[in-house]
Amino acid sequence: MASEDTSPSHSHHRDSIKSSVGNTAANRRRQQAISIGKERREALIRAKRLCRDSIFDDDDNEKGLDEGEMVIDEEQSVLNARTAQTVQELKSSLSYQGKDATQKTIEALRALRKLLSKSEVPPIEAAIQGGAVPLLVQCLSFGSADEQLLEAAWCVTNIAAGGPEETKSLLPALPLLIAHLGEKSSVHVAEQCAWALGNVAGEDMELRSILFAQGALLSLTRLMLSNRESTARTAAWALSNLIKGPDPKAANELIRIEAITDTIVKHLKTADEELVTEVAWVVVYLSALSDKAISILVRSDVVPVLVNRLVGSESLQLLIPVLRSLGNLVAADAYITHSILIVGNDITDQVLYGLIKCLKSEHRVLKKEALWVLSNIAAGTLEHKTLIFSSEAVPLLIDLLSAAPFEIRKEAAYTLGNICVGPTKGSDNKSDIIVTHLVPLVKGGCLPGFVNLVRSADVESARVGLIFLELVMRGYPNGEGPKLVEREDGIDAMERFQFHENQEMRNVANALVDKYFGADYGV
Amino acid sequence: MDSMDSSVASPDLGLELGFPFWVASRRRFKPDDPFFASGNLERELLAKHVALDLTEDERFQLQRMEIADANLFCPIAGCGARLEYLEEFEDHYNTRHMASCSVCFRVYPTSRLLSIHISEVHDSFFQAKVARGFPMYECLVEGCGAKLKSYKSRQRHLIDKHRFPSSFEFYKKAHPSKHQRQKLQRKAYKGGDAKDQESFMDLDAKKESKQTRPKHYRPKQEVKSGTERESEMEVETKLHHPQTTETKVVTNSEAKNEKAKAETEMEVEERIEDIVSGISKLSTVDASSPSSVSFGHRHSRGFAFVPRSVRNQNQISKREQTRKP
Repeated sequence: MASEDTSPSHSHHRDSIKSSVGNTAANRRRQQAISIGKERREALIRAKRLCRDSIFDDDDNEKGLDEGEMVIDEEQSVLNARTAQTVQELKSSLSYQGKDATQKTIEALRALRKLLSKSEVPPIEAAIQGGAVPLLVQCLSFGSADEQLLEAAWCVTNIAAGGPEETKSLLPALPLLIAHLGEKSSVHVAEQCAWALGNVAGEDMELRSILFAQGALLSLTRLMLSNRESTARTAAWALSNLIKGPDPKAANELIRIEAITDTIVKHLKTADEELVTEVAWVVVYLSALSDKAISILVRSDVVPVLVNRLVGSESLQLLIPVLRSLGNLVAADAYITHSILIVGNDITDQVLYGLIKCLKSEHRVLKKEALWVLSNIAAGTLEHKTLIFSSEAVPLLIDLLSAAPFEIRKEAAYTLGNICVGPTKGSDNKSDIIVTHLVPLVKGGCLPGFVNLVRSADVESARVGLIFLELVMRGYPNGEGPKLVEREDGIDAMERFQFHENQEMRNVANALVDKYFGADYGV
Repeated sequence: MDSMDSSVASPDLGLELGFPFWVASRRRFKPDDPFFASGNLERELLAKHVALDLTEDERFQLQRMEIADANLFCPIAGCGARLEYLEEFEDHYNTRHMASCSVCFRVYPTSRLLSIHISEVHDSFFQAKVARGFPMYECLVEGCGAKLKSYKSRQRHLIDKHRFPSSFEFYKKAHPSKHQRQKLQRKAYKGGDAKDQESFMDLDAKKESKQTRPKHYRPKQEVKSGTERESEMEVETKLHHPQTTETKVVTNSEAKNEKAKAETEMEVEERIEDIVSGISKLSTVDASSPSSVSFGHRHSRGFAFVPRSVRNQNQISKREQTRKP
C-alpha cells in the first residue's frame, strides 16, 4: 500500500474522519470508508472538504465540549428528523425579539453545525429541505456577532460539501461570504468563509464563474497573504478551486495581481508542507491555464524553488502539484529547457535527480507525470537527450516500458523515442535519428515493449509503437532493423491492423509491412 | 497534444496523406485532461485522509469512476466489444480474433472472414461458380450483403462504398515469418521434388480426372534461393461447403505472389476445366472444424491458392503496385 504522508505534526485537520483512536464509532467510520458505496465514492472524489473540527487551534474549551459527543451515531431518518427540528428552532430564535436573541440563535446554529459536522453522513439534504438556507443567510448579515457569523459560515461550509443541487441552493449566501473575507472581519470568520467558498468553487465552472463575477478572487488572494498558516492554507486551497477552470479568466486575472508571484514564492519556501502543497496547486492551475502566468513564472524564482522541493520532499501530497507545476511550465514554454535547464547547470542536474526519484517511487501518479516531464525535456536540445541517455534513467525507462501499467508505458515510450530523435530534420524532412542512442536502447531491450504497445487497444499507444518501429527499421545500421523487429513478433503485431477500424492505423501499419517485409524480404 | 502530428509526404511508403514520422516535441495537457485524473483523485483522497484506508481494489474503482474508462471498445472493425480496461484487450483478441485457417494457417479476426477466406481460396466449387459467372465474392463488411463477380470488383466495392484503403488486400501478400522461412528452407534441403514447384490445387489420389499434371510452374523471374521457393503444405483437412458433396482437397500454398503472375492463361484454363469436370468426384473438406482449427499465435503465412479470376485481374493491378523500394 502506498505510504502517504499523514502529517501528524500539525495540530488540526480540515477533515479528520478518524478522530480518536480506539473509539468504536471511529472504527465504524473507518469501516464505512472502506466499504465504499457509490454516494460515498462520489463524496471522496469531490474537490470538497468537510469541516469537522473547529478551525480554532487554541480553544480547548470548545474541543473539550465536543469530545463528549464526538460522534452522532444515529440512523439516518432519526438524524433527519433532528435536523429538521433544529432548523425550526433556529427559525424561531431568529424571530425572537427578546434580549437573549443572539445567544439563542447561536445555540441553535451550534446545534445545527454539530449535526452537520459530527455525523458520519451529514444530513445536508434534510437541512435544506427544512429551510436552513434562508435562515443561514439571515445569520450572515452584516453586524452580526462574530460567533454567529462563525457558526453560520461553518454550517454553510458543510452544506456546500454536498452534491450539485445542494451546493447550488447556497447562491443567496455567496455575496455575504465574500464580503466577510474582508480585512475588517475576524480572522476566524474570514477563514471559515473562505472554506465555504472553496467548497462552492469546487463544484463546477458555473459556480466558479459566479464567484469570480462577485469578486471573490481579490479577497481570497488577500487572505492568502495572512501570517496565520491555517488561514493562508485555506485561502490558497479555495483559490485553487476558484481558478481551476476550464475557463482561464480567473487564472489570467490572478497573475495580474501585483505581488502574487512574490507571495507564491514566499509560501513555497515555508516549512509547512501543507501550505506549500496548496500554493503549489495554485501554480498548477496558473501554469495550465494562463500563458501570461507561464511567462511570468518562468522568469521568477518559482522554478528554482519548485525544483528544490521536488528534490527535497518525500511527501506524495506535496510532490504531486510540485511535479505537475514543473511539468506544465516545461510543456508550455521552451524558455525553461533552453534558458533555465541548460545542460551543465546545477538546477538541471537537480531536476533530473528529482524526476528519477519519482520514477523510482512506488506511486503511479509520480511515475507517470515524471515521465511526462522527462519526455518533454527529452524533446529539447541534443544535449538534453544525451544527458538523459547517459543517466540512470535509461534502465528505469526500459523497465517501465516493459512492465509498468499501461499509461506509464506510454509515457516511457514517448521519452525513449524523443531521446532517439534529433531536434533537426534532414533533407528528406524527417527528423534525424540519433543512432548512437537508438542502438544501445534497442540492445538494452526496449523493442518488446514497443511491439507490445502496438498491440494495444488504445490507438494513440499503438501509433507510438508503430512510429518507433519505423525509426528502428529505417535508422538501425546495416539494415538490421526489420530483422530485429521481426524477432519480437513485430510483423504479427503490425498485421493486426489489417482489420483495425481506424483507417490511419491500417494505412500506417500496412505501409510499414509493405515496405519492410515485402517481397524482397529475406532475400 | 500530439507529438507526431506533422505528417510527411512519403511516396516511398505509399501513403498519399503522409507518414507520421516521429517528431520529438513537447506535449501539453489542459488541466481537465484525463491524463491528470489519477493525480487529481489522489489529491482529494489524501486531503480527506482516506488514502490509507483504501485497498487497491477500491482505489481502482474510484479511478474508474473518475476517468470513465467506460468508453473502451475493441478496435477491430465490426467487433465493438466493450472492454472493461485496456489490459483486457489482449485476452479478448486472442479469444475472439484469432480464427485461423487450418489449411494455410492464415489468421483472421472473425470467423466470418475466415469462412469467406476458406470459400474463396480452398473451395473448388466456389471457383466453379465464379467461372460460370455467379457473383460469389461477398463484401467483407458485415451487414452489407453485396456480392461481386470478381475479386477485383469486390475490392472496388470495398474502396468505393466502405472507404477501405486502396492498399488493402484480402489476399494479402504473404510475408513469411521466420518459422515459415525455416519451413521453406527445410523443404528445400529435402531436395526439391517436383512437388516443390507445384503451386495450385491438386486433386488427391483419385486423380483420374487430372491426367496431365499441369505444366510445371515456372516462375518468370529467376528462381531465387531455396528459401524463396514455394512451400508446400499438404494438409488434408475438411472444408465444409454446405452446398456441395464432400470434397477432399489437398492444397498447396505459395510463398510468393510474383509466382502467381507468371502462370500462363493456358495452364489456368486447363486447370479450371479439370476442376470443374472433377467436381462430382470431389468431397468437400472442412477446414474450420474445431479439431483442426488452431487458436493462438500463428506465424506461417503461406500464400494460398489464388483463383484464376483473381490472378488475371490482379496481374494488371499488381504491375501498378510495384513494391520495389
